[in-house]
Amino acid sequence: MAEIKCPKCAGPVQFDAGTKFTKCSYCSSQIYIDRSGAGFYYAIPFTLSESDAVGTFKRWAGGSTKAKDLDRLAQVTKVTKKYFPVYMFRRDVDGREEVLLEPAGSTILPGLHRLKLPGGDLQIFDAQFNTSGAEMVQPDIAMTHYLSSLPGKAKEQSLVYFPIWELEYRFKGTDYQVVVDASSSEVFASVFPTRSSLAYLAVSTAGFIAFVAEGLLATVNLYAGAALMAITVAAVFASSLYVARRL
Amino acid sequence: MSGQLSVGLNCPSCGGAISVSEGESSLNCRYCGSTLYIEGDNGVNTVAFKNKLDRDAAIKATKAWWRKGFKARDLKSAGAITEVYPIYLPFWSIGTRVAGWVCGYEEKTTTDSKGNTRTEREYKEEMVLMDLSFSEIACDPGDLGIRSLRNFNGEASFEDMDMIPSFESTTSRDDAMAHARADAMARGRASARIPNITFESLHVLVRKLSMIYYPVWVARYTYQDRMYIATVDGVTGQMLSGRAPGDPLYQSLAVTAGTSLGGLAAAGGIIAAFTFQSEIGIAGVILGLIVLGGTYWFFRHGSEIIEGDFADRKQLASLKKGQLGSLLGGARI
Repeated sequence: MAEIKCPKCAGPVQFDAGTKFTKCSYCSSQIYIDRSGAGFYYAIPFTLSESDAVGTFKRWAGGSTKAKDLDRLAQVTKVTKKYFPVYMFRRDVDGREEVLLEPAGSTILPGLHRLKLPGGDLQIFDAQFNTSGAEMVQPDIAMTHYLSSLPGKAKEQSLVYFPIWELEYRFKGTDYQVVVDASSSEVFASVFPTRSSLAYLAVSTAGFIAFVAEGLLATVNLYAGAALMAITVAAVFASSLYVARRL
Repeated sequence: MSGQLSVGLNCPSCGGAISVSEGESSLNCRYCGSTLYIEGDNGVNTVAFKNKLDRDAAIKATKAWWRKGFKARDLKSAGAITEVYPIYLPFWSIGTRVAGWVCGYEEKTTTDSKGNTRTEREYKEEMVLMDLSFSEIACDPGDLGIRSLRNFNGEASFEDMDMIPSFESTTSRDDAMAHARADAMARGRASARIPNITFESLHVLVRKLSMIYYPVWVARYTYQDRMYIATVDGVTGQMLSGRAPGDPLYQSLAVTAGTSLGGLAAAGGIIAAFTFQSEIGIAGVILGLIVLGGTYWFFRHGSEIIEGDFADRKQLASLKKGQLGSLLGGARI
């Protein structure tokens, strides 16, 4: 919660991040909060603990496009808790409202150069805000740098700190990095060990071709075709189960 | 922060204090009765739906969902819910009306008993008049797997807003409006059911714009050291989205069924093509390949079951087309 003075009676009026209109609790006058001339600082609280972040990474690492057993074999070597800054500008461009996100700091972290602001409960970032021990990544580009070059008229400008867990892990001698968004659990990674589709394709195509051949054979010799089909069913089932479990 | 930030609102005629809520564009002064029009940033009409679910109901819905579909068989015993909490998600809710005309033709090919084929054009003109609702999440959905509303009805109440953390709107109202217009245009065009369009004149009117804060329960659970999330609708109690572990047994059963049924359909097609009719034959082979492709897909990616609007699910779907192509290419050799 932030506080302003009521323009009528000068009493303290509290307002939240999304509030546009509010009422003074002392003189009950209606107040419009004009954000166009000021810069706001917001932060999104952490909803993922360190173990939640590691668990989310393991869920991601267990996905079908990742190397088999990456979730079990990856060794998490370092976990860092950070607040990452991004600028959010709300502008009136020829009568249309536009939201523009701009970088506040340069980064080589995966996913974060794509510039997005994960959904979250924006809270006013002031001395009372509890950063819960996270490292604050300092913005190295000033807000005023953008203000002069952005199109349209200002409606609101803010610096938003969003919470991330930065994980480093080692898999088969190589180090990788992922970022877990600690508000909505999204995982960002640019490079990761992948799984080959070859074994999956091989089992499927071999099984298919065998059945086509046996289907044709069955029209000539029903018993031989049926017997071979039974064997193929067992073979495809066993090999696919092995592939799904191990490869 | 100074007094610059806030503007007191008075009636321009009598100077009395006025009371206005977000989204209103005109009102009458309580004291002198003047009709006032609000200029500038008047915000958006905002409603919040009352949360109807409690913790236990959200847990129950998640556990019931675990048992459905091709999820890991031991999920109900090995899965453990670690955290359940409600959030308010902001959605742009836009009511549109699309009206106009679509003209064009449909081509019909017929084969008579002598084997001559004829193609006829049937000309069509359809009137379109529809009222539509469009919704779009007003923040980045992250990994929640929710992009739009399925339910537009609920008891409007702001009383939970202080208790439940609410995600802030961080997207543009006018972008949402443009998406609603494009959606109405596409749905209006589709409703005419004309395959070849030669002329169209469709107009979209935006009838209502509001921001709905919708209660959603987030359930986090663990399975074999992995952490998954699922979301439950806080008004209807339905599952909205979620990720869950798959089961290798279902994957291999799928591919066994797919290769055998697909292979036999293709074999039947080949036989039909050589004995009596080539069209049925080709249809049989194509059907076989489609069955193979679908089950291969589940075999390859069924280790995680994804339900909802997730970004990686879309990526997988676009990958699917490419891989299916290479699979069909491989099957032809």
